[in-house]
Amino acid sequence: MTQVMTNTSYLQRLLPTGSDSSTSGPLWLQARREEARRQWLRVGLPKNSDEQWRFTDLSPLAETDFSTPAAAPAAVPSSDGRLPGLEGAALVLVNGNLYRPASRLPPAPVKIALLSQAAAADSKIFADLLGAQAHPSHHGLIALNTANFSDVVLVEVPAGVTVAAPLNLAVHALGNQPFTTYPRILLKVGANAAVTVVFSFTGPDHLAYLTNSVVEATVGAGSRVELVKIQREGTAALHIGSDYIHLDRDVTFQSLSLNQGGLLVRNNVTVTLAGPGSQATLNGLSMTAGRQHVDNHTMLDHAREQCASHELYKSLLAGRSSGTFTGKILVRPGAQKTDAKQTSKAVLLSSQATMNSQPQLEIYADDVKCTHGSTNGPLDDEQLFYLRARGLACNQARAMLTSAFASDVLARVWQPALRTMLEDLVVTELHRLEREEF
Amino acid sequence: MPILEIKDLQAGIAGRQILRGVNLTIVPGEVHAIMGPNGSGKSTLAQVLAGRDTYVVTGGSVRLDGQDLLELSPEERACAGLFLAFQYPVEIPGVSTSYFLKAALNAVRKYHGQPELDAMDFLKLMKQKMKLLDMDPSFLSRAVNEGFSGGEKKRNEILQMAVLDPKLAILDETDSGLDIDALRIVAGGVNSLRGPDRGILLVTHYQRLLNYIVPDYVHVLRDGQIIKSGDKNLALELEARGYGWLEEPAAVH
Ligand SMILES: Nc1ncnc2c1ncn2[C@@H]1O[C@H](COP(=O)(O)OP(=O)(O)O)[C@@H](O)[C@H]1O
Ligand SMILES: [Mg+2]
Repeated sequence: MTQVMTNTSYLQRLLPTGSDSSTSGPLWLQARREEARRQWLRVGLPKNSDEQWRFTDLSPLAETDFSTPAAAPAAVPSSDGRLPGLEGAALVLVNGNLYRPASRLPPAPVKIALLSQAAAADSKIFADLLGAQAHPSHHGLIALNTANFSDVVLVEVPAGVTVAAPLNLAVHALGNQPFTTYPRILLKVGANAAVTVVFSFTGPDHLAYLTNSVVEATVGAGSRVELVKIQREGTAALHIGSDYIHLDRDVTFQSLSLNQGGLLVRNNVTVTLAGPGSQATLNGLSMTAGRQHVDNHTMLDHAREQCASHELYKSLLAGRSSGTFTGKILVRPGAQKTDAKQTSKAVLLSSQATMNSQPQLEIYADDVKCTHGSTNGPLDDEQLFYLRARGLACNQARAMLTSAFASDVLARVWQPALRTMLEDLVVTELHRLEREEF
Repeated sequence: MPILEIKDLQAGIAGRQILRGVNLTIVPGEVHAIMGPNGSGKSTLAQVLAGRDTYVVTGGSVRLDGQDLLELSPEERACAGLFLAFQYPVEIPGVSTSYFLKAALNAVRKYHGQPELDAMDFLKLMKQKMKLLDMDPSFLSRAVNEGFSGGEKKRNEILQMAVLDPKLAILDETDSGLDIDALRIVAGGVNSLRGPDRGILLVTHYQRLLNYIVPDYVHVLRDGQIIKSGDKNLALELEARGYGWLEEPAAVH
């Protein structure tokens, strides 16, 4: 850690070289880039001494000699990160840029726009949404993304529109020496609309690269929105995702954060319940092995009354992997009848795996219900014995228990086809953990 | 050949002996009952036979159908034909009863070189067995034992036994917590599995069950030893007089 604090050469190294990005684009963008650069140079990477980053050591990021962010390549390998078995539209992003040849753009009335191609008149919506939630002052990685992103993808679902099939954003990292990518995505869902968006993150194995992604979503009154994140980065990847979701009134929102890839992973999810009567359900499932570290950090900002939030984060940890769940709940003055429930459960598949869970409650209203709980431990011996006493081999019994552990989180996914795909993905992943374990 | 042959079995948990030399032989077709006061080691015996590794076997031998049982893993024992109906059936949230039972049945079939049952044949078999135990088919879609009443859990154990068709069934306090109707149904299920090829070992604290499943032999376990053996009348005597009169250990059998 001392190195991060004393050696500041990485600060410049991670900023774009030349004058390219800070002097191109509309003036408002240039100003925001400049502000982000300054902020980054001032604060740098979050440090362990910061309570919110206590369990995740980002020094590898400062120590790796990343090349400049890779430009969009001419061609993408066939494994372009799209998910098998998912019908519907797919946007393939390569190193933060929309890669049209591999994409299947959604039909109208869903709109896709790119900041790089926005006419001056259209750039207002970008100016309004970009950074409205993810401000560079939150932490250095937001500043770094803002200074570096190569494009911004905007997905807009107009009011009253129900998008039947899940919309897939395949965020693909591509390169062959250590590199950085800064995906930046905006999602705007109008009132009384419904959509499921699946973000999948993939990249090359055995290569140290950074995906520092920022998603800002706003959801209009009365809408139903589900965001599923499938983090399958490469085996040596650093993944930092910061998702901000702003909910108007009477919204039903659900998210799933599924983590299986990456070496050092941090997921920041911030949900603002900005209108009364909204419900947010946040689910998580992490499956880690080897020396993987996954840090899930959620923040529920109950800004208005009569809202409910329900968090269920589960982790299966093998090898020497480690996990963290931090659930921050802020109940602002006047947010009466808030009902916030938070649960973290971990199964430690090896004696060297570790898990930390901690609630952080800040409550400024009196008529509220906030509960939290966490359990960490190995697979249940009695359950294992019961299954084996019925003839199931030890590894089959273990697999049955681990997939049962994951099942309730997956069962909550709204879209049946998506649910089936995720169940298959998880079964495959659990086999990997079993192999690791013995 | 006996289906079960226990010789001088000694077992316990770290630093404490619970079974102090148990001898018991069951030949196919027989039903034996083991009775005894609470804490005498009945469940320990049942669990040791099923292969629970919480208990350490420190002496003696056990043969199942001639095979050295203590060499086998719990799953091998189950596949070889030993079935334990648990005193406290374990809840397994997230695993449906049908998925579990199908996996168990197919594991046993595979062990014997039989093809796996497909979904249709499995369902047919389940319907038939569940009828026997007066169980609603909706059981199948519920998670294993989760939220089951005491009686439902016990019935589920007997259902599993009926489906897995073991050579030796050990029933640990299957009668406890059952009302009289449930007891009749469970006993009916067990009786229907009585047959010339199967051995049954009933572990019970009360004589009540033995009115419905009449045993060929009754043994009294106390402080980890069988101190007396007899026929079904021994159970009636225990019911009338309690365990106190059995002061002196019985001669080795
Ligand atoms: N896992 C265990 N840990 C500690 N003591 C045990 C354990 N299992 C059994 N015992 C002890 O061994 C003795 C026999 O228990 P058990 O076999 O359950 O008796 P029963 O089934 O006849 O009531 C009791 O004194 C009990 O407390
Ligand atoms: Mg007992």
